[in-house]
Amino acid sequence: MEQLAATLLAFPESSDADFSLADNLTFDTAAKHHVSKLSKMLKDQNALLLTHGHRLIDLLDPAVNTLSYIAVLHTLLLPSPDSSIPRDVLLNKFVRFLYVYDARQARYARGHLQELLLAAGSGQYLPPSVAVDALATAILRLDPTGSMLTMYHLNLVKLAYQTDNITPALPVFDKNIIYFPGMASYGEPKFLCDLSLPPPAYLSRETGLASYLKTSLILEYDIFRGMSYCALRDWAKAYDAFERVVAYPTREGGVSKIMIEAYKKWVLVSLLATGKLSEPPSYTGAAANKLYGNLGKPYTALAVLFVADNAEALKAEVEKNTQIWSEDANTGLVQEVLASYQKWQVLGLEQIYSKISLSEIRKQTTSAETGQALQKDEDVETLVQNMIISGMLNGVVEKNDDGTAFLTFLSPSAQLSEKEFAKELAGTAERLKQLQPIFKATKERLGTSKEYIKHVAKEKTRADKNEPDPTLAFDAHVDDEDLMGGVVATG
Amino acid sequence: MAADQHILNYFTAMDNQGGIIVRGRTRFERLLLIGQCSVPLCVDALKAAVAEAKRGNDVQRYRDAFECIRVAAPDEPEAKWDEAWVTATEKANKAETHRLESELKGYKNNLVKESIRIGHRDLGEHLESIGDLNGASEAYIKMRPDASTQSHIQDVGKHIISILLQKRDWAAVLANANKVLAISPGSNEQNTEQPYQKMIYGLAQLGEGRYYDAAKSFLEVGDPAGCQAHNDVASPNDVATYGGLLALASMDRLELQTRVLDNASFRNYLELEPHIRKAVSLFVNGRYSACLGILESYRNDYLLDIYLQAHVPAIFSQIRSKCIVQYFVPFSCVTLDSLNAAFAKPGESIEPELINMIKTGALNARINTIDKLLVAVSTNSRAAMQKKALDSARNYEKEVLERIRRMNIAAADLEVKGSKKVVGGGGAGNMPGVGDVWMDETRRQPTSNDTMV
Repeated sequence: MEQLAATLLAFPESSDADFSLADNLTFDTAAKHHVSKLSKMLKDQNALLLTHGHRLIDLLDPAVNTLSYIAVLHTLLLPSPDSSIPRDVLLNKFVRFLYVYDARQARYARGHLQELLLAAGSGQYLPPSVAVDALATAILRLDPTGSMLTMYHLNLVKLAYQTDNITPALPVFDKNIIYFPGMASYGEPKFLCDLSLPPPAYLSRETGLASYLKTSLILEYDIFRGMSYCALRDWAKAYDAFERVVAYPTREGGVSKIMIEAYKKWVLVSLLATGKLSEPPSYTGAAANKLYGNLGKPYTALAVLFVADNAEALKAEVEKNTQIWSEDANTGLVQEVLASYQKWQVLGLEQIYSKISLSEIRKQTTSAETGQALQKDEDVETLVQNMIISGMLNGVVEKNDDGTAFLTFLSPSAQLSEKEFAKELAGTAERLKQLQPIFKATKERLGTSKEYIKHVAKEKTRADKNEPDPTLAFDAHVDDEDLMGGVVATG
Repeated sequence: MAADQHILNYFTAMDNQGGIIVRGRTRFERLLLIGQCSVPLCVDALKAAVAEAKRGNDVQRYRDAFECIRVAAPDEPEAKWDEAWVTATEKANKAETHRLESELKGYKNNLVKESIRIGHRDLGEHLESIGDLNGASEAYIKMRPDASTQSHIQDVGKHIISILLQKRDWAAVLANANKVLAISPGSNEQNTEQPYQKMIYGLAQLGEGRYYDAAKSFLEVGDPAGCQAHNDVASPNDVATYGGLLALASMDRLELQTRVLDNASFRNYLELEPHIRKAVSLFVNGRYSACLGILESYRNDYLLDIYLQAHVPAIFSQIRSKCIVQYFVPFSCVTLDSLNAAFAKPGESIEPELINMIKTGALNARINTIDKLLVAVSTNSRAAMQKKALDSARNYEKEVLERIRRMNIAAADLEVKGSKKVVGGGGAGNMPGVGDVWMDETRRQPTSNDTMV
């Protein structure tokens, strides 16, 4: 037991926080050394570790002795929680570990960390409300940029959506996913602990921290994310999430059923978010676009009626297709669309009126839920007040001397001062600058991909074979792989 | 009833001097249109139309006019079918066609170019006069290979255009007018042909609904004498009316002043239709309701014009909304009552019209129904610029991210691929062409074999 404890506590050498700042070489050697000892221990003294586990784990600090902590925790928790220690105590430790672990050390933990994170997201060990928050924190500890999609993301989004614990997961959902596992890899980086590494360098299958994902899982992630935003009624973000699925890159006319489902939801959400139906982005696959047109007909028909001035027809159309909505599990969204119809009508009045009495609003707008105008001016007031509170409408309801209530539309947000404006622009420029390394990494990766090298080799042999043709030289600048077509970070 | 009086005057004037105002085949068309559209003038116009038809050789026209008058006034002497005339005319027509065709054959055998051209022209003119427009246009087109001089080519063009005008094929008219009447600069004929060319352009542009272009064309017609020579197309009065109305509908005040009122050559036309000049100058002077009043009193006349008829509602509503916009320009805020007083018919409110104009973007203003005001929208161009700049920055960022994302998807070989092997995604992908394709099944799922090395 003492021997075990000694091994476990041997790394890091000093418990003060300075060590986490040690230079890469020192840290890398020490960590690798420790890991080899740990894995030997796990292999040879597993039984002993189990018996003393509950005492050992008390000795260790998850924030400092992360690697050792993972080893002990893994032994105790997986495949099933050990009986030597009360379940709630162990799980408490597990949660605490997820919140505080040291990401630099954890990179060396490989499959063990992966399994712990997967266990956290599986919903078997922790109650969902705890698990979502803990896992979200853990994901962002491991990859603070949150730009790489992993299996943990998928577990998180499913758990969060299915158990309706979405808010704690939002920090993860709001990140832009840029990297995907399975891109041509660099092999193992020189120093795994190097904090300047881009996420895909350490979150790869080679380092054991991430596994490959299937295409359908990536689509699932975004569609679940969209549905989560729908549950929170954040239509704009839901719109973006669904759009990613709708416009997912396709090849050779491939279309996924998930994309079709996403398109249906996307149409509805686009009505909610923008009040009209938008065209799919220009880069949407042609085959997909065609299928959207065919299979999404009931939805586009709904969208056409939504912008037309006929609430009754909209209501009738919705009722006619009740079965479709429920088969596609979109009944809730369709109801939301109906409820928002009148709100968008009121917003449309802003283009015509500067002040308008509530009774006129009542006459000029119709509720798509009933197909009729609202009964009382008070109902209109409630509707308008709700819109103002939710930030959808920029205006105030006032009362005249003679008691007529009216709505005044306010002009859109006041002009920014020169400073604020410059700050906003500088912010964008800064964010674009931050993309520079990502762009570089991506370029490097594409430059080393098998297809590209093949292409270059082929070009070269062709160039060698043929006499340099002056007309070809012009073409040579048009590089097939130059997907960035003019997008270069500026500023 | 004053309006009716107007029309009657107009009509009598037209009938009395018919040969002077318009001649040629459009005369019948105009009469028939008036007969069909105007109740008080119906019988008179139709009677004149029947007479006009019988003066020519076109049996079909007689039939059309007869059908109308039979319904409208069965008791009139013109309502009796003149079988003798029809038979005689048809026979004469046939004989004439035959004669011209055989003459043409003779010319062709002789291989004299000029004779062949004349032969085609005569045949074409005859066919046109008996109403066979397609045959006529074919005959005219055959003139082209034998046309040797500039004036011959123009002659061909004019004949073809005349047919196209009768067929109301505006796009083709424009194309031909461009092609045929392209006169080399500096040529003397420029001046004599300009009225015709501009008139044709104007009519075709009017027919296509391009009011501003049409107005410009009519304003440039030039010498009224030249115009008079082509009054089978449109009379100088027509040019004045079309030009003035279309300019009112499509030009702003400054342009109206410089291009219409200060236009020396167009002044000659305006003298023929003084009310148009009055309307234009009222508009320029900002007396919009008076201007609209004048136009409104002539509306029925315009509705009886063959070229203008279809466009009258559009032109009038454009003029009207321009008046409202112009009226509003100097103000930041106008009471609805004063707008009603200036523009609305008694007892009606202008509000629905305003709403419509705001919706279509013609009027940049907001209605305040509480204080009964129409308020101008003050555009804050600084704020607009800032918003635009921020939006484009944001979009740029979004696009960059999206592109990098897509590159990485491509790099990871994770696109959705089409494949012959279609595997149902979640067991539900039985739609044709749809299915989740698991191309990467060989890839490993997370396993616990990864140990700490």
